[in-house]
Amino acid sequence: MLTYFNLQKQMRETMMDYTKYRLKPKDELDDVLKEVSSLFVIWCKKCYKVFETEEFSECDNFVELISEKDKINGCLGIDFLCNRFLTEKKIQNLPENSPIGIISCGLGIQTVAKLVENKRIRVIALADSVPQSDNATSIIGYHGIALGSEKCAGCAQCYLGMTGGLCPIVDCAKSLLNGPCGGAKDSKCEVNAEKDCVWIEIFKRMEKQKRTISYPVKVRDYNKFGSSEEKKISTISFARRTESFYGGVHPSEKKELTENLPVQEFPSSKYLFVFLSQHAGYPATALVKQGNIVKYGQKIAESSGLISASVHSPVSGKVVSIEEKTHPALLRKMPAVVIENDFSDEKDEMISGCADWQSAPKEKLTELVKEKGIVGLGGAMFPTHVKFFPPKKPIDVLIVNGCECEPYLNADNRLMIEHPEEILHGIMIARKVLGVSSVVVAIEENKPDAIESMKKAIGEKQGFVLKEMKTKYPQGAEKMLIKSTLGRRVPDGGLPLDVGVVVLNVGTIFSIYRAIVQGLPLVKRMITVSGEFEKQGNLEIRIGTPFTDIFEFCKSKISENKDEYCLKMGGPMMGIMQTDFDSAVIKGTTGMILTKKPLVDCSQQNTCIKCGRCVDVCPMELYPLYYAYYGSRQMWEKCVEYGVKNCIECGCCQYVCSSKIALVDLIKQAKKNANNKT
Amino acid sequence: MLITKLKPLNEIENYFEKKVFVFKCFGCKEVYFPEQEINNFIEERKTGILSIGEVDYLCNVDFSKVYIEKNADVIQNSDAVVVFSCGVGVQVVSKLLENEIVVPGCDTCYLNGFQGLTVLECDCNQCGECYLNYTGGICPITSCAKNLLNGPCGGAKNGKCEVNPEVDCGWIAIYERLRTIDKEQILVENKMFVRNFEKIIKGK
Repeated sequence: MLTYFNLQKQMRETMMDYTKYRLKPKDELDDVLKEVSSLFVIWCKKCYKVFETEEFSECDNFVELISEKDKINGCLGIDFLCNRFLTEKKIQNLPENSPIGIISCGLGIQTVAKLVENKRIRVIALADSVPQSDNATSIIGYHGIALGSEKCAGCAQCYLGMTGGLCPIVDCAKSLLNGPCGGAKDSKCEVNAEKDCVWIEIFKRMEKQKRTISYPVKVRDYNKFGSSEEKKISTISFARRTESFYGGVHPSEKKELTENLPVQEFPSSKYLFVFLSQHAGYPATALVKQGNIVKYGQKIAESSGLISASVHSPVSGKVVSIEEKTHPALLRKMPAVVIENDFSDEKDEMISGCADWQSAPKEKLTELVKEKGIVGLGGAMFPTHVKFFPPKKPIDVLIVNGCECEPYLNADNRLMIEHPEEILHGIMIARKVLGVSSVVVAIEENKPDAIESMKKAIGEKQGFVLKEMKTKYPQGAEKMLIKSTLGRRVPDGGLPLDVGVVVLNVGTIFSIYRAIVQGLPLVKRMITVSGEFEKQGNLEIRIGTPFTDIFEFCKSKISENKDEYCLKMGGPMMGIMQTDFDSAVIKGTTGMILTKKPLVDCSQQNTCIKCGRCVDVCPMELYPLYYAYYGSRQMWEKCVEYGVKNCIECGCCQYVCSSKIALVDLIKQAKKNANNKT
Repeated sequence: MLITKLKPLNEIENYFEKKVFVFKCFGCKEVYFPEQEINNFIEERKTGILSIGEVDYLCNVDFSKVYIEKNADVIQNSDAVVVFSCGVGVQVVSKLLENEIVVPGCDTCYLNGFQGLTVLECDCNQCGECYLNYTGGICPITSCAKNLLNGPCGGAKNGKCEVNPEVDCGWIAIYERLRTIDKEQILVENKMFVRNFEKIIKGK
C-alpha cells in the first residue's frame, strides 16, 4: 500500500534547489562599488536547508570577488533577515552615513530597506534571488514547511481532489487543467524532456483508484490569487504574532472541559507522601521521626538556607517512615515523609489567624509567610518570603498573575471566580508588605467570568488596574507579563526586581491570605485534573496526595495501558512528563493532564531544516535552532553564546518544530552543562 | 507561506455521505488554519466519519508515513480520505495512498513572505536580476500591478493603483523612499535595464 521514498536522500540531492540567492556578476558589483565611498555588508544566513554544517561567511565570497576590497568597513551575518522584529534589533548599531550592501533574497533586502528608511541610509542589493519553482519565495510553486518534492502554487481553488492528488498546475509545464496537451513523447514532457508528463501520471493513478475525471473541469479563476480576503488573513496573522509581546503560540485551549466545574474538595487519602523538597532551593530538614504523631498543619520540616521553605503536615496522623519516592518535578528519588492519616484532622495549635494584620509590622508578616511555607504556586515554587525581603532596589508595582496561559488548566480561573474577596484581601497584605501602591491584576481574555468577578471585587479601589491580556501562550510567564502590562523589559539574566516589579500568582496570593488571616500553612492547593480522565474537574487537594488516589478518584485506566497515554504534572506545554506513578502532589502541582500519546513525537525527530519557526515563536527572542545544532554535538559553550541561559523553557519552539526536535531537553542539558563549567 | 481556507461546502459535502477518514494538519496553525470552521463542519457530518487523525506537518513524509501506518485498517475500510491541510499535505498523503481516493478539504491561498517566517508585507518574485538597487529597496515587480520597471504608468489616483484601488501605487512609494534617502537622482539617470524573462524560464 505504501510507496516508500527516502526523504533524507532526496533532501540532499535537491540541496542546490533550496539556495535562495546568489551574488550578482562581478562587473555589476564593481559598478555598484564605484558609486559609493564605503560599504557595510549584511548577509543572510539562508533558510530552508538541512542544517548540517556551520555557516561560512557569504561576505568572504563577496570580498574575494570584488576589486575595491578596502571600501568594505564591516560585515554582519544575520539569521532570517526577513524577520523584521529581530533584524531591527540587530542592525541598531550600524556605522553612520555608510550605505549598506545586502547579500540576501529580495525579501531580506526589502525588509532592511524599510527599517533604515528614516536613517536616510541607502541599501544596495548585492545578490539576485535564484529563480526556481522549488523556492519558498517563488510565486510559481511552493513547497511545504518540510523539504519535499511536492509543491503547491496556492491557487486558492484546489484541484487535487479531481486529479487523484497530483497537481496539474505545478507539475504540468503548461499548467493545463482539462487533460494532456498531446505533445508528450514516451510519456515525457515536450517542454522539458527530463520530466514525466503529469497528465499521464494522473490517468494512471485514476485507473488504480477505479474512477475517472468528472468533466467539465472548473475553469481556473485567476482573480482568487491575492484577493482582499487573503490580505485580511495575512494582516490578522501578522498582528497575532506581535500582540502583547513578540512570538508565542496559540495551542488549542481545551479550557471548556473544566472551566465551569466548581472547585471540589478532594477526600483525604489514607497515606500521604510529603516531599521535603517542594520549592526552588535547598530541601527542608525533617523535624519528625518515624513513629511521631503529627497534627494537621504541624511543621514537619524546617527551611534550611535563605532560599528554602518549611513543609507542614497536610493531615493529622502518624509518621510511618521517611523514604525515597520519585519526585514529580525533579524526576529522581527524593526523601518524603509518609504519614498515615487518622482522618480526625486535629488542628495544630499553631493555626491561629492574625486578623489585625493591618497593624502588624511588615517584618512580622514576612516572617509569617516564611513560617507557613508559602511558595509560588504557578509552578516554579520560588519561596515567596524571599520576594518579600526588603530589596535593595525600589519596587513600585505588584503584578497579580491570573493569566493561566497553559491549555487545560482552570484552577486559577476557578479561584478568581469563587474567592475574589479573599484574593483581594491577599493582595492588600502583599501590597502592605512590599510597600507599593499600584497593583496590576492581569487576566487573559479567555476568562470573562474571572474578569467579571475580580472587577466586582476590586470596585473603585485606588491604585488597582485590571488588565485584560490577549490569549497567547506564554502570557503568564513573568517576563512576558511585565513586558505586556508595563512595557518594561527585564534585563538578560535579571529578575523582575531589577525593573521594580514583583509578580505573584493568584494562587500564591490566596495562600498568603489563608496563612495570615486564617493561620493555615500551605497544605492544600487547587489543581485541575483534565484530559482523558473520565471524571474531570478542579480539585482542592492536600499536598502529598498520591497520584494513584487521583487516578482512582477520576477513574482513569492509565495504570492498565501506560504506553498509550502521557501524564503530565502541570499543563501540556511546560508540564513534566510522569513515568513513575509512585509519586505525590507537591506545592507546584498546577494540574494533572492525561493525554493520548501523539503518534509522532521526538523519538522520530528529523534533522533541522532551518525553517525558522522556532525563531518566530520564541518569546525571549532567541535562536533555538542553534541549541539543536550545537546541543546535539555537545558544544555547550556555543549554546551559551547564543543565550541559552535566557531561555525560560516555555516549550514554544518544541511545540512548533517541524522536525520534532526535543529542543527543551537539549536546552535543559545545555543549561546544566553551562552551570557545571562556571 | 501557505495558508488554507475551507473549500466551498458543496465541493466536499458529498464525500461525507459515505465512509471517510479525516486528517487535520495543525502544522501551520501558528500562521493560519481555519480550525474552528473545520471543527464545525466536521461536527455536523459526524455519521460518515470513521476516524479523525489530528496531526501536524503532513508535508513531512517521515511523519505522514507513521500516521498512515497506524491508521492503515481504518483507511482501507473508508471510501475516501479527506485531508484538511495545504496542497502539499494532500499530495504527500495521496502519494503514500495511491490506491485510495484522497481529496483536499481546504483551498490553499498565497501569502507574501517566506513560509515559516512572519507573514511579510513585501514579496519576492525571484526574477533573478534584483532591481532593488535602483528603487530604494521597494520591488517594482511585486508592488506594481503592471510590473513596470521604468516608472509609474500614470494611472494612479490619490496614490492608489488603478488596477486595484485597495493597493498603494508601488512607484509612488519608490519615489517617496528615494526622496527620503536623497537619491531621487537615480530615477533621472534611469539605469533600469530591460527585464530578462529567460532567467525565470531557465530556473523553471
